[in-house]
Amino acid sequence: MSEARDGRMRLTVLGGFLGSGKTTWLRHQLHHGQMKDALVIVNEAAEVPVDDALLARSAELRVLAGGCACCDGREALVALLRAICDARVGGDDALASLDRVVLETSGLADPGPIVDTIRTDPVLIHHLMVDEIVIAIDALYGLDQMRHEPLTLRQIETADRLLVTKVDAAAEPDLARLVATLQALNPGAAISGAAMGSGAGLPDHAGIEPVAIPPAEGSRAPAPIAATRLDLSEATDWPAFSVWLSALLHARGDDIMRVKGVVRTPAGRLLLQSVRKVVQQPEIVPEAGAKPTDDDNSVVVIGRGFRAEDLRKSLAYFTGERR
Amino acid sequence: MCANCGFPSAPGHWTEAGASTPTDRLRARFRRAQLLQSVLPAFGLSVHDDGAIPGVTLSDRTGRHEMVDDVSEVWRAAERMSGRVIDPLDPQFLAEACDAEEREDT
Repeated sequence: MSEARDGRMRLTVLGGFLGSGKTTWLRHQLHHGQMKDALVIVNEAAEVPVDDALLARSAELRVLAGGCACCDGREALVALLRAICDARVGGDDALASLDRVVLETSGLADPGPIVDTIRTDPVLIHHLMVDEIVIAIDALYGLDQMRHEPLTLRQIETADRLLVTKVDAAAEPDLARLVATLQALNPGAAISGAAMGSGAGLPDHAGIEPVAIPPAEGSRAPAPIAATRLDLSEATDWPAFSVWLSALLHARGDDIMRVKGVVRTPAGRLLLQSVRKVVQQPEIVPEAGAKPTDDDNSVVVIGRGFRAEDLRKSLAYFTGERR
Repeated sequence: MCANCGFPSAPGHWTEAGASTPTDRLRARFRRAQLLQSVLPAFGLSVHDDGAIPGVTLSDRTGRHEMVDDVSEVWRAAERMSGRVIDPLDPQFLAEACDAEEREDT
């Protein structure tokens, strides 16, 4: 996780289907002081909030009840975040020391539109930076939910980190199959396990066939998601890469779930992240060491409906290497 | 933000990151215009950026022109003006772009 350097608060979006263990995990993190400098926002689709009572150990807690933040409660979320940012810059002592916001979404929320809303809001963009999308997956019912609830798939596809919860309650072969399936659905996300909120190991899933998830009724079978690593050559400077990427996201933004990487520029190493069509304002990250690392000037594109060689060909055309 | 035209509304477009000095910013700006100018003629459009006025100007062969504020807008405007879809992964796109290049050379 990156530290706050530009005065903006880092936002962690914690999502996952109903009953997947979001609050249990967050409660454990707070209990152990992992997120003690975070303001926690709990969004519940129901009118009567419950989770706030469980999360009393957070430094600051706000509850957004009676509307899901990705759809009908979106305006309320923006209003609440704007009020928090206002109070923070206005000298509210309790808020001034906080550098992180954790938004626990309702189980029915798609994190994509929430992140889009925050990144495209003309006020919030100056105060908040989306740092990480963490999605909780139930070890027992996760596969079932993926088969029957298309929302679960959307949640998984947008995640930076997948948290398999309740691992103590699931049999090892089932767990390995679930992890293999998650890996296939979102090859770019880190996968970790948790039991009662504390970290737990996951079985080795090497060689295990992922479960085929049938498409939702009435929709076509989606192509599998693949992660392509693009190593940028000397000729590919940041303007060339960004012009190409903007064209790519313009045309294929709905099929490209994530783009992540570090690109060298005259101003330093630039951290690039996008969710679907929305690219976060790239930030300069500190030098890793005296020498450039292998991960510099390489970008991972995660999505479906394209071939890796076409991506490379197209980029080479834009940068003039093929002309 | 420019008091006259209101550009840019957010802390710059993401493609404009990576340049911290005015010289680097200007250099990157001209480089972007040059890159766009190498791609868009295949769609009957040309690009102009004088480095002073905010935004990029797109014009077609009839003299119609449109001013846009960032690179993402360029693609939307280019589709509107040319009436064609711009997809950098479309095999047709690469083929046509290469053809246009060859025509210009001859």
